[in-house]
Amino acid sequence: MKDSPQIADAHDLSQSHPPEENWFAAIRTVTGFQLNRLMTRPRLAMGLVGALFPAAVMFAVMRTAPINRDMTVAMIYVLIPEALCVLGLLVTMCPVVADELERGTWIHVAVRPRGRQSLLLGTFAAAVIWTGGVSLVALMLTLLISQPTQPIGLVVMFTILIGMSCVGRAALFALPAVILPKRALIASVGVALVVEYFAGLLPAVVNQVTVSLRLRSLLVEWMEWRNDLPIEMTLFVDNYSAPVQILAVCILVFILLTTAGFILNRRQFPPSVEN
Amino acid sequence: MEKTAEISDKPVIQIDHLVKEYKSSDGTIIRAVNNVSMSVAPGEIVGLLGANGAGKTTTLRIIATLLQPTSGHAQVCNHDSITDPVGVRQSLGYVSATTGVPDRLTARELLTSFGRLHGLKENAIKDRLDWLITTLSLRDYIDRPAGRLSSGQRQRISLGRALVHNPPALVLDEPTNALDVVGSRDLLDTLDRLREGGHAILLSTHRLHEIEHRCDRFVIIDKGHIVAVGTRDELVGNSGELEDAFFHAIEQGAHT
Repeated sequence: MKDSPQIADAHDLSQSHPPEENWFAAIRTVTGFQLNRLMTRPRLAMGLVGALFPAAVMFAVMRTAPINRDMTVAMIYVLIPEALCVLGLLVTMCPVVADELERGTWIHVAVRPRGRQSLLLGTFAAAVIWTGGVSLVALMLTLLISQPTQPIGLVVMFTILIGMSCVGRAALFALPAVILPKRALIASVGVALVVEYFAGLLPAVVNQVTVSLRLRSLLVEWMEWRNDLPIEMTLFVDNYSAPVQILAVCILVFILLTTAGFILNRRQFPPSVEN
Repeated sequence: MEKTAEISDKPVIQIDHLVKEYKSSDGTIIRAVNNVSMSVAPGEIVGLLGANGAGKTTTLRIIATLLQPTSGHAQVCNHDSITDPVGVRQSLGYVSATTGVPDRLTARELLTSFGRLHGLKENAIKDRLDWLITTLSLRDYIDRPAGRLSSGQRQRISLGRALVHNPPALVLDEPTNALDVVGSRDLLDTLDRLREGGHAILLSTHRLHEIEHRCDRFVIIDKGHIVAVGTRDELVGNSGELEDAFFHAIEQGAHT
């Protein structure tokens, strides 16, 4: 030891008080940390490919045949809020626990007073910011290629849909990520297929708890397509107003994140599970 | 009869009749920790010794609230690990063999992040950082990415992370495993100084010779049971080494 240490004495330790809870700062720290992790060259390249993909598809389709505004909007909806957002969140949200176990950092986070919840919510925020950012770039590129009329209105509408897709699906993927951390990616793909794409299309009560129903219904309302829909297609959308749809997603996100946090708080990993 | 470590005055770390069972893949119950009781007082280093699979890591992780006991209690500063895990986490620093220090972050960034994760205010973090830089001699590499540091330097940062919130209790799980002789001695010297400052330190290791003259007491554990407890002199007697006493205790434990 080169320096003269100033070790706290026993009196200081016995008098030390628990630090003031500052949960928001803890979540913000984890968010920054996770975003920093995403700023590697492979991840940035993956984000670039993701951002270019919808524009490339749109370009290829437009070269084959001219498409009208409604078809352009429908394609953007399928390619970005439904496909790109889900793919981005699979990469960023699913490894919330598995990454920490593999890197040997789980125990160091889990022994902090609110470490587990901060990890979950911070990673959730980072996943939403990263995927949302990539999706917005993809949206701009796709609109640039397709050049629809009234683009500002479409930017506003799709920004809200992308935001809701990211928030809703990230919360949905948080569940398999904490229940089956080592197989979170496979489990989340299953959840996406079964819950979002299969149950979401069932004209039954079960589709009420899916994000896809809310997004579809908002798209139909904001594009004023409801009156033009064939009668059988009306089964796949909801009649509630936009604020109700947004509120429904918020409630769903709250329930999913609370459940995931509850489960994560009780997770135990024997030493053999790490590494 | 189960041996129990002597209860010190006002222990910082206290575990009573701790049992931890795991269910194996074939459904059989494995008892990793079996009725373990011990305590660590302020200003004391207790060495937890045992072979691989003896139950050391499981015991330490129960204390750190990473695992829940099947039965029994673990307390840190009177906070129970089951009923008040947040209180335990506020009072405890944990160091493991795997440092888990991200390559891209500097020590300053890592320690600041973990200070915030503990809910410390910025000025408190700055004060703690100054203290850690001095106490752990981090000054030369505090702003260097961890990927460019030696194992010893990374382990010292890991110790800093455990101390960032000034916990009265420190639990170290084989902290010198990846270190060379110089790194080990450096780390253990730091623990000596922390003991002088009043920290209660519970340390597990395989390297008996390193800690033989540093720990105030030893707890030897085998197959989940405590098989011997005492100071070095009590365990070794007038002749021999701690290693001999360790093997003797395990052999005796196997026959009881």
